Amino acid sequence: MKNFPTILGFELRNYFKNKSYMILTILIGVLAIAAMFLPRFFNLFGDDSGEDSESQDTYAVYDESGVIPQDLIASFFPDTEIRTAASADEVRSLVETSEAAAGFVVTSPTEYQYYVFNKTMGDSAGMAFTSLMQTASFMKYCSDNGLNFTEVQQQMTPAITYTENILGKDSGENFWYCYGLVILVFMLIILYGVMIATSITQEKSNRSIEVLVTSTNTTSLLFGKVIAGALASLFQVGFVLGGVLLSYEINRSFWGGRLDFILHIPGEVLITFALFGLGGFLFYAFLYGMMGALVSKTEDINKTAGNVQMLIMVVYFLVLFQIQNPDGIIMKVASFLPFSSYSAMFVRIAMGSVTMVEVVIAFGILVLSILGVGYIGAKVYRNSTLRYGNPLKLRHAVKGVFRKG
Amino acid sequence: MRLEVKDITKSFEEKEVLHGISFSVESGRALGLLGRNGAGKTTTIRILMDIFRPNSGEVLLDGKPFAPAAQAIGYLPEERGLYPKKTVLEQMIYLGRLRGLSKKQAEENSARWLARLGVEEYAKRKLETLSKGNQQKVQLASTLVSDPEIVVLDEPFSGLDPVNSQILKDVIRELIAENKLVIFSSHQMSYVEEFCEDIAIVNFGEIVLKGDLRDIKKRYGQNRLILSADGYSLDQLTGFCKDHLSELVTVDGQTRDYLILGLKEGASRRGLLEQLLADGLPIEHFGTYEPSLNDIFVSCVGEEQENGGAA
Repeated sequence: MKNFPTILGFELRNYFKNKSYMILTILIGVLAIAAMFLPRFFNLFGDDSGEDSESQDTYAVYDESGVIPQDLIASFFPDTEIRTAASADEVRSLVETSEAAAGFVVTSPTEYQYYVFNKTMGDSAGMAFTSLMQTASFMKYCSDNGLNFTEVQQQMTPAITYTENILGKDSGENFWYCYGLVILVFMLIILYGVMIATSITQEKSNRSIEVLVTSTNTTSLLFGKVIAGALASLFQVGFVLGGVLLSYEINRSFWGGRLDFILHIPGEVLITFALFGLGGFLFYAFLYGMMGALVSKTEDINKTAGNVQMLIMVVYFLVLFQIQNPDGIIMKVASFLPFSSYSAMFVRIAMGSVTMVEVVIAFGILVLSILGVGYIGAKVYRNSTLRYGNPLKLRHAVKGVFRKG
Repeated sequence: MRLEVKDITKSFEEKEVLHGISFSVESGRALGLLGRNGAGKTTTIRILMDIFRPNSGEVLLDGKPFAPAAQAIGYLPEERGLYPKKTVLEQMIYLGRLRGLSKKQAEENSARWLARLGVEEYAKRKLETLSKGNQQKVQLASTLVSDPEIVVLDEPFSGLDPVNSQILKDVIRELIAENKLVIFSSHQMSYVEEFCEDIAIVNFGEIVLKGDLRDIKKRYGQNRLILSADGYSLDQLTGFCKDHLSELVTVDGQTRDYLILGLKEGASRRGLLEQLLADGLPIEHFGTYEPSLNDIFVSCVGEEQENGGAA
């Protein structure tokens, strides 16, 4: 491994001299950081008086019998312009021409028609109007029976205050950044894994590999490439994510904490993410390196790397589907397997209950697996140096590693 | 230094392609590993370079197992290749450093070898922008960047034009003069003949002839003479020999200009010459036959092929 620093330096320079890598890193980083500063410059979220009337929705209402008091409508839809229509047809027409986002035709105290052009998944206008009509009906009942509506309502729905004391993890709060970080590490593994595999295959296709393997050992070559890929990805993610987190912290008050759910990540979660994320990255990077060594043309990489990609996808969906059940048996098992611990254990730490012993064991398994895959990968790389033509089968290549002589 | 290849065998998927290759070479001498395409030269060299592992046999340097990675060694593979997108200097420094040079040494050596091979002006150009000939020179410069004690060149003349071949020949001569140990494979006999003191001819995975080239030539030329005569075609001269000289010589072959005669047992050059003069043959050339390496090669490989075919 005495040539490892030389190889690492050479491979790292390949990344840092790559214009598209540097431009993309700097561009995304600068844009993301700039976006975090926008509220400070434009004070977009700092002042409630600056409401933008143009962004208000307009609802059209036709209430022929005067079932609903006008002030009640305004209190139910405070950020909405209420346009009183002269007929049911006018309500329909306003919705059809998009002059109103929604329309309501009240036909009796307990019945109304709701008009909307394209109903979105999150449409809650109908529910809100139903609640409005229930309140109006209740108010009328109180009035008809000589009751004080406000007093009765206070008795029926008294204001309750409470203090929340979370002794474990707040899944609701941790969910989004957990989700985001799992996707991030997944993207990095796929992106850099393919780059590492391509770099190895290119050395076979341009025939420089014969000179390389006679100049140094293949373990140094493979580890140099993989570690360089890991450092390049750390730099890229560190620059972008670090810049975003830092600039958000600086501008948090201007954002009014609106992005806390995804950007206010506790330090210990970030450390766990860095350790397990890096471990998972290295594990798969060595696998990708091995896959790159099995082929001699870059266009054939997918033939061998497809299996690794499939494994990554399975782990990705498994973890995302189980993210709300971090202490379930599936996540527990997945958090110890080297294929999946990089995301499953991270999710368990962030959202579930996990002991330090479990974390240490899972990390130990991951580290040993990385070394094992690295060792086998380097041998496969060595044995497939001059194997050109059809892609080698992984099974045969791994068998060759353990064959004597 | 003495490098010995001892009784190497190698099989690929149950088929044995090398059947006990042995040869040796010493510092200050060049060994030409000769053979037809597919004879086993490159496989032998790859075993020497530890790219392939032999099934049996060993490679020794001064009597100890040879480890190319631990040795100052320059290797020019048959399959040429460097990084096309990298500058010439960048990859030469990288390869120099992989072979144990400091960055400064690697820079100095790279500049020196690029200048020696006349491609210093391309040092900062990407390899892919150079002509094929210049790429080959860069490859050779990369091979020699670490000033290796052992130089292994697999088909170094392949694809070179006469001018570049001459440069390469000069470089190899310099390496030999600097007491380096040089091994190279080729099927171009004229190049080998120019500066190889030792040869090993490989055919069908076996060494069919090896040793000092002068000794081999002497052996092949022993009791053989050349003859040509004014006004006689080689066919007419062959007829003449059969009619008048059959007790003294056999006609062993012919070159473009001469017949090659083998002296029969008991016959002498003097006796043959007297007979020729007595028969009134207008002699044009009469002398000792000095076989070319090409003649020896064809003779060896041709015979082996016939034997192989018969077997």
